[in-house]
Amino acid sequence: MRDPGMQTDEPTDDDRARAVEVNLTRAGLRLARQLGDGLGGLLFDRLFRILADRHPRAFAALVELPDARLLIDPVDAPAALLLRVGPQLALRVSERDAQADATVRGPCGRLLDLLEGRIDGDALFFRRELTIEGDTALILALRNTLDGEEMDLFADVATAAGPLRHALPVARRNAGRVLRLLDTAHRLAPPPLRWGLAALERRVAGPRREA
Amino acid sequence: MEPFELICPAGNPAALRAAVDAGADAVYLGFRDETNARNFPGLNFSREDVAEAVAYAHARKVQVFVAINTYPQAGNLAPWQRAVDDAARLKADAVILADVGLLDYAARRHPDLRLHLSVQASAANVEAIRLYRDAFGVRRVVLPRVLTVPDIARLNAEIDIETEVFVFGGLCPMAEGRCSLSSYATGLSPNKQGVCSPASHVRYEPRGGDLASRLGGFTINIFGEGEQAGYPTLCKGRFVSHDTPAYLFEEPTSLNAMELLPELKAAGVRALKIEGRQRGKAYIATVVAAYRRALDAFAKGQAVPKLDLDAMVEGGTQTTGAYKRAWR
Amino acid sequence: MKPRLTLGPVLFNWPADRWRDFYFRMADEAPVDTVVVGEIVCFKRVPFFADAMDDVLTRLTSAGKEVWLASPILVGSERERAAMRDLVRCDILPMEANDMGALALLEGRRHAVGPFINSYNEATLAWLAARGAMSVSLPAELPAASVAVLAKAAADLGLDVEVQVFGRAPLAISARCYHARAHGLHKDGCQFVCGNDADGMPVRTLDGQPFLTVNGTQTMSHGYLGLAAEMGRLMEMGVGRFRLSPQNMDMVAVATAFRAVLDGDRDGAEVAAELSRTAPAPLENGFFHNMAGASYGAELGTDA
Repeated sequence: MRDPGMQTDEPTDDDRARAVEVNLTRAGLRLARQLGDGLGGLLFDRLFRILADRHPRAFAALVELPDARLLIDPVDAPAALLLRVGPQLALRVSERDAQADATVRGPCGRLLDLLEGRIDGDALFFRRELTIEGDTALILALRNTLDGEEMDLFADVATAAGPLRHALPVARRNAGRVLRLLDTAHRLAPPPLRWGLAALERRVAGPRREA
Repeated sequence: MEPFELICPAGNPAALRAAVDAGADAVYLGFRDETNARNFPGLNFSREDVAEAVAYAHARKVQVFVAINTYPQAGNLAPWQRAVDDAARLKADAVILADVGLLDYAARRHPDLRLHLSVQASAANVEAIRLYRDAFGVRRVVLPRVLTVPDIARLNAEIDIETEVFVFGGLCPMAEGRCSLSSYATGLSPNKQGVCSPASHVRYEPRGGDLASRLGGFTINIFGEGEQAGYPTLCKGRFVSHDTPAYLFEEPTSLNAMELLPELKAAGVRALKIEGRQRGKAYIATVVAAYRRALDAFAKGQAVPKLDLDAMVEGGTQTTGAYKRAWR
Repeated sequence: MKPRLTLGPVLFNWPADRWRDFYFRMADEAPVDTVVVGEIVCFKRVPFFADAMDDVLTRLTSAGKEVWLASPILVGSERERAAMRDLVRCDILPMEANDMGALALLEGRRHAVGPFINSYNEATLAWLAARGAMSVSLPAELPAASVAVLAKAAADLGLDVEVQVFGRAPLAISARCYHARAHGLHKDGCQFVCGNDADGMPVRTLDGQPFLTVNGTQTMSHGYLGLAAEMGRLMEMGVGRFRLSPQNMDMVAVATAFRAVLDGDRDGAEVAAELSRTAPAPLENGFFHNMAGASYGAELGTDA
């Protein structure tokens, strides 16, 4: 758990891993947008199924919410995400001006921190690092639901997906982790996406290997 | 001398584990409905969650208190009575109640259940506290945030039940349980629905570079570009009187009474409470760990470490609130 | 029993002369049954009214009014506590308890429970009745459905419930004085600036919208509670007492109008319309109709 009260300027392994995850997320969003709703949708549906298996309590809660659309806009990423909560729970890549009942905007890294409950959403909002528009109760419901989970997006996906099931939670935040994550992404992705991920892997993992 | 008990909030099972792991002596929580004063969307515990929470906490010698501290609705007492019954059945170490009708029910139906008086009952004087003790066997009172430390010391000298005081977190400038500001603006209140300035009635409105926060059709604040923002809790808003805009009731600030540990100990306080069941588990882990370190140091007679909790608090500022007379 | 009109205590810091004259006039001219007297907001104001108190109580009693003494809303400090004990010790007149401490001291004596003790449900009402309450004034934020349940329960328990039907709604109480704070002063050196505002200090939003009223340590609504149009329903529910809270306007006219509605001589809706013209602030009835308290819905008199 990060301790904002104790933060220093030195980037930690945690910070470095997060930086890679941010790049991965951005690239993933760009890719998903290029793939369009069909293939991109397939990818998100898979992602969702994995997370739902790992976090049944949270997903049951999200399905129970009234039907509504939440735009999650990482301002430093090429596209946004549209989360539909309620009986038709779904996640799709989206333009950042899409119609929604509520919008959360902030830097990609901060949104990931928030998703995983590693930082306090109120504190972020107080510091104006997040902006919120529209149905505040919807945002709060989502925040509270996710915060109730011990969610680690990348590890969850990886663990669910392959032989790294046991190794990854232990090795989490290790230097070699990013490559494993990408390995996972390969397993997860439908074929056309794998080709894109291969390119991504070269770009993201390259400097890491040298380090 | 007995060490302080550290009473910590949990809005969900993950937060409870965070609080227990970070060094809480007791965790307080609520059921997922209008029976508790943090009835927020996505928050709180099902009956199964409470059973698991009690098991997790008890295995680590940590107590669980269940807050059932709203005022039961006329003609619909059952949800509140059921909450008390279930808390007893699930082996909660205490229930935290405010309503005299519900206290009466709990005292009759569950004579062995430990009763704490919620801050929402606003029992601020010796006579009131003795009444709750004599009528219902209340064992501990959570003091309203209207008393100075000398007030608390005098009070403890005259009562024979334990006192618990808030030391960190959101700060009500009004006497708790006696405030209808939220229902005045939104129709929903802490006493009736367990919500204050509910998110369902909150809107953030960008106005150029400014950010306006609105509650139920009233502008509660406007933040300039780069200015620290706050949630539009009604009493922390900026309003105009005599043509002067100001934080009329309270600045967006948080209580932190860590510097008052020696005085609170001398005043006979038994337990220290951290506010924030609605806050994330990151907040809970950080604040609980900080207070655990401070209390351990204090118990050993060492200097209390200086801990930077600014990032955790609203407005980025902290106050000792009503504990010092100057606040009034 | 015939429903009764109660005049609540003056909540504002009026000059002592004016305060005395107000009660003299109420004694002589206002058709109210019960008058509740006492400084309940701030104990620092108490000495101002002390000299006039005897005259006021005598005048009201000789005019045939039932007089209750009200206990303070917030009793925390040692001085507030001593003042409360002194007040309760005086057993010449019935007391209206506004704090659980006063209620504790009234054990065994018939008393009224004021609107600042939280009475939200029938279980609480039963507990209060068993302790000797003869009347319970309900919190302003209760909706019609709750009032109906409580009025029915009260009949079974043999006590009256009371509903405030006129005057600013009390919304909050604090140890901090917001009047002093707004003037850059501390409560201990407040210079009694609350005395400048006979109807409380207006509070607007940053957009200029009227919103709240500050009365020292108390926060009140901007608008006046106005349940004249709802009087018929309230009487049908069995509500036994109707409270008028004094404002800076002709309270004899207000009391006369409500009396006429109680006696069936005037239509409640017509009185509501008249009051919305004569009162210095808009009428509000949102609490009763289960909406934001700040709202007013004239045609909502038939909802559940």
